[in-house]
Amino acid sequence: MTESAGGADCVIVGEALGKWYGEVIGLNNFNLEIKHGVTGVVGPNGSGKSTFFKLVLGLIKPNTGTISVLGQIPWRNSKLHSEIGFCPDYESLPADSTGRQFLSLIGHLHAMEGAALSKRIEETAKLVEMTHALDRRTGGYSKGMKQRMKIAGALIHDPQLVILDEPLSGTDPIVRKDLIDLTKRLNKEQGHDVIVSSHVLFEIERMTHNVALIYKGRTVASGDISEIRALIDKHPHNIVIEGDGISSLAKALLDKDYIVSVAFNVDRSGITVQVLQPDDFFNELPALVGQTNCSVISMYSLDDNLEAIFKYLVGR
Amino acid sequence: MTTWRLSSNTLWGADLTNLKKTANGIYALTLHSLRGLLFSRKAVITVLVLLFVTAVMAYAGGQDVDALAEGANMMDVLILFFFMPVMAMIFGSSLIRDEIDNKSITHVATAPLDRSFAYIGYYLPLSLAVSGSMVIITTAGFLSFFLQHDVSGDALEMYFEFIALVVLGSIVYSSLFLAASVLFTKPVFFGLFYAFIWEGFIGSIPGAIQKASIKHYLRSMGSEWVDHGSISTFDASSFGGSVAVIVGLTLSCLVLGAYLLREKELS
Repeated sequence: MTESAGGADCVIVGEALGKWYGEVIGLNNFNLEIKHGVTGVVGPNGSGKSTFFKLVLGLIKPNTGTISVLGQIPWRNSKLHSEIGFCPDYESLPADSTGRQFLSLIGHLHAMEGAALSKRIEETAKLVEMTHALDRRTGGYSKGMKQRMKIAGALIHDPQLVILDEPLSGTDPIVRKDLIDLTKRLNKEQGHDVIVSSHVLFEIERMTHNVALIYKGRTVASGDISEIRALIDKHPHNIVIEGDGISSLAKALLDKDYIVSVAFNVDRSGITVQVLQPDDFFNELPALVGQTNCSVISMYSLDDNLEAIFKYLVGR
Repeated sequence: MTTWRLSSNTLWGADLTNLKKTANGIYALTLHSLRGLLFSRKAVITVLVLLFVTAVMAYAGGQDVDALAEGANMMDVLILFFFMPVMAMIFGSSLIRDEIDNKSITHVATAPLDRSFAYIGYYLPLSLAVSGSMVIITTAGFLSFFLQHDVSGDALEMYFEFIALVVLGSIVYSSLFLAASVLFTKPVFFGLFYAFIWEGFIGSIPGAIQKASIKHYLRSMGSEWVDHGSISTFDASSFGGSVAVIVGLTLSCLVLGAYLLREKELS
């Protein structure tokens, strides 16, 4: 019995999912619906992203709750894998094989063969820009090349759903940009539904506006990223400003409604500002700097790390 | 999107599309695993064992002995008794476990191939690699001994009888150690215990207890075939019973391993 009553417009429906490993909780009362298109799954390390993907792929079974992928229950359902391509976040390429041998193995496992498989290998390698390295051993690939080849492995059988687990992890900025563009193209040009995970929110924002935020095994928020940003904006942000003549800027900021507090750093070289509406703050800041004749050397948010954002969202 | 499907047809009610897909997957996995086994560091171990067996049997063959009896004893003790389970343990106890531990099994576990069938794609190359290695080692040992005497006639007949025994041994030991590699997180400890303590010690104790070893049944079959050396006078179980035990154990281990892999959570 593999059929399930998932919504027709949903690629994945997870309801009250629970998964634990001994005393370690992977997911806890996890609810998420993922619709067609590109969806970003964002969460800090250990939040449950990989556990969720393993449940989607049927590599593990849930302790509680139900999950439906493309209308089917994934556990013990190998046929479902015809419709899913998976790029794991860990090293999974056989080091003693060439890229072509790797793709050929995956293709054969998906019942592809002969000229059709050879053609598809060339097409997929071209798509991920790895044609030049197809006949090199994967053990000699750079991190970016390995990521591209893993993505090619996920695409070789032309699945409906492509899951990319932390595809940008450990890559340089140029590769990052290429992979972000590729992810968008997979949906727009190739028609795949794509689920991509990351622990960096702004990277996901560059790929899609449809995100799910996961924290400590639960879905904290999901939907359009602008709605999530609005939720985040209800909480004060901590921003550090460093430079010369900062005290006059501090005085000017205290008069603003969107400022909760201003605190000088220990060496008085900068201030930490608590801001309620970051957009208003960032819009007015250049004018305030000009009016107070201070010079700003650096400015950064203490809340850029995802952990802080999640703490806001769960009210801690 | 392109849809990759083989033409659908049936034969006596069986879905040939699915059968062909499954066979294709098993074949691909067999080739991949066989290449991994033959071109890994394990091949170096085969070469070392081959050199050792060749040297020992060349030395034994150089002595003034009854060639057929002594040759049979050497192949029995050195190859069938000792290296047969050890080589199967070296090849088998890490094949699937290594892939589970380094997570490269993900590509197999996320393919549209039932894991119990994928297990066959690991078993076939394993038994082929172990059989191949053991046939080469047996051949080298035989030649290094009997080239100093007479290779033809009875000696050649005995060679083929031992080849049949090592191939049978490869089939049954491979099924055992492969199942252990799915069942245990550290299968090499089980392998060392089984190969050296159980088969090596329990299998050589006089009396009924040795019937708890695979070796006993292999030697029982060998005692029907080989007319020289101590194996020919071995206090054997019946031939039919030994075949039943070997076949039954092989099938039981295959079913158990396939079931365990199918049910295993790959986290």
